[in-house]
Amino acid sequence: MPELRLEAVTHPVLGPLDLTVADGEAVAVLGPSGAGKNTLLKIIAGLLPYQGRLTFDGVSMAGVPAYRRNIGYLSQDLHLFPHLSVENNIRLALLFDRTSVGQRRERTRQILNLCAIAHRAQRRPQTLSGGERQRAALARALARHPRLLLLDEPFSRLDRSTKQILWTELGTLRRHLGLTALIVTHDAEEAVTLADRVIILQAGLLLPAAATPPWDT
Amino acid sequence: MSGLLLLAGGCLIAITVTVLGALLALASHLPLDALWLALQQQETVFALRLSLYTSLLALALALLFGTLAGYLLARRSFPGQALIETLLDLPMVTPPLVAGMGLLFLLGRDAPVGSAMAAAGWHLLFSPAGVILAQTYVATPLIVRSARAAFQAVDPDYAAVAGTLGLTPLWAFLLVEIPMAGRGLLSAAVLGWARALGEFGATLMVAGATRLHTETLPMAVFLNIASGETEVAIACALILLSMAFALLLVIRLLAGGKSAGQGQFQHA
Repeated sequence: MPELRLEAVTHPVLGPLDLTVADGEAVAVLGPSGAGKNTLLKIIAGLLPYQGRLTFDGVSMAGVPAYRRNIGYLSQDLHLFPHLSVENNIRLALLFDRTSVGQRRERTRQILNLCAIAHRAQRRPQTLSGGERQRAALARALARHPRLLLLDEPFSRLDRSTKQILWTELGTLRRHLGLTALIVTHDAEEAVTLADRVIILQAGLLLPAAATPPWDT
Repeated sequence: MSGLLLLAGGCLIAITVTVLGALLALASHLPLDALWLALQQQETVFALRLSLYTSLLALALALLFGTLAGYLLARRSFPGQALIETLLDLPMVTPPLVAGMGLLFLLGRDAPVGSAMAAAGWHLLFSPAGVILAQTYVATPLIVRSARAAFQAVDPDYAAVAGTLGLTPLWAFLLVEIPMAGRGLLSAAVLGWARALGEFGATLMVAGATRLHTETLPMAVFLNIASGETEVAIACALILLSMAFALLLVIRLLAGGKSAGQGQFQHA
């Protein structure tokens, strides 16, 4: 069974952490600012060093660089490349796919439609609205059929109504694609809406499942 | 306050009039037909060709070394960095003549580097290759400094995100970081080229001033003024001025737009 597993993973601001995310499961990591949520995602994405054991599909990720992990990562600031159109942002993600040019073009078209951003394909990210940028970044993160999707406070910069629309869309998309996802947020409503399971991270440590987050008491 | 503005306005006018006066004096020194003849002189054409050829090669070298060095300085901290950065800034503040003297002693036949190069059949001194060396030497620090600032303006997380999209660090550098720092790098290139085109002191020491051999445009001005042939000197000076003006205009136009890495989240 493909799964993400962290065993005694440590970093100067995190852990030791033990966490298992089952295949197709969406887990939300809820916690206040500075709890280490962002660090956790960066470790899994291959962007930060760590100690301990991190496996995906039973394969150790030790020494595997980010560009070989095929993990979709949606950062809080999205980091859409401003010198490229939305379409070219996605095509860049497919540049080293071992598929033909035609297949890559078709995949780009598919993912643009799937994320409902095809009508803005030729626009530069900085000319889009907040919600459109979110869709474009999600499309780019999903372009390579990632095995795991990491979402770092994905909708924190959006207004409430746009946020709710995107929650629904992301839920539908995730179920449609059967994606395993780890979502980091400090918004309890977002965590409950998007995830199958919610875990709480505080001061770099996971709280027991039954614990009430201290900032809610 | 109005008194201060009046004084500042007076200063601005005085500076502008002086620059304009020098330009007009130079441009009006020769009648147009004499200037046209001087522009067609073999020496003028040679100097223009050599200047373009050497300065563009020097620019390519300076861009290669300067961009990579600037990138490293922008992205990493290492022991002795302040010392290295100060050393790299040194050619910008020392007289080019002094820099040229240093290069002359470094590459002279008596020096270990110079003798090793001579043994390998490389003769840089007193040749057009020496011109390229001198121009590269003075242009590179400018490009390092500008490239460092251009890369510092690009959030390194863009390259990290590019990594999660399957791009190796080299491809992320080439396809994401370089284009995002593009405007700054282009300004650096224009500035470096202008510096290389106008280079005189270091070139004089390293390549010498030999007519129709190492005679760049600034060297032609010097040689012809020294020998009293003002027509060619003025023609070369006017070519240099026109090119410098055009390059400065390009820099101003480039500076007019926002850097690609900025403003991304202003609509957020």
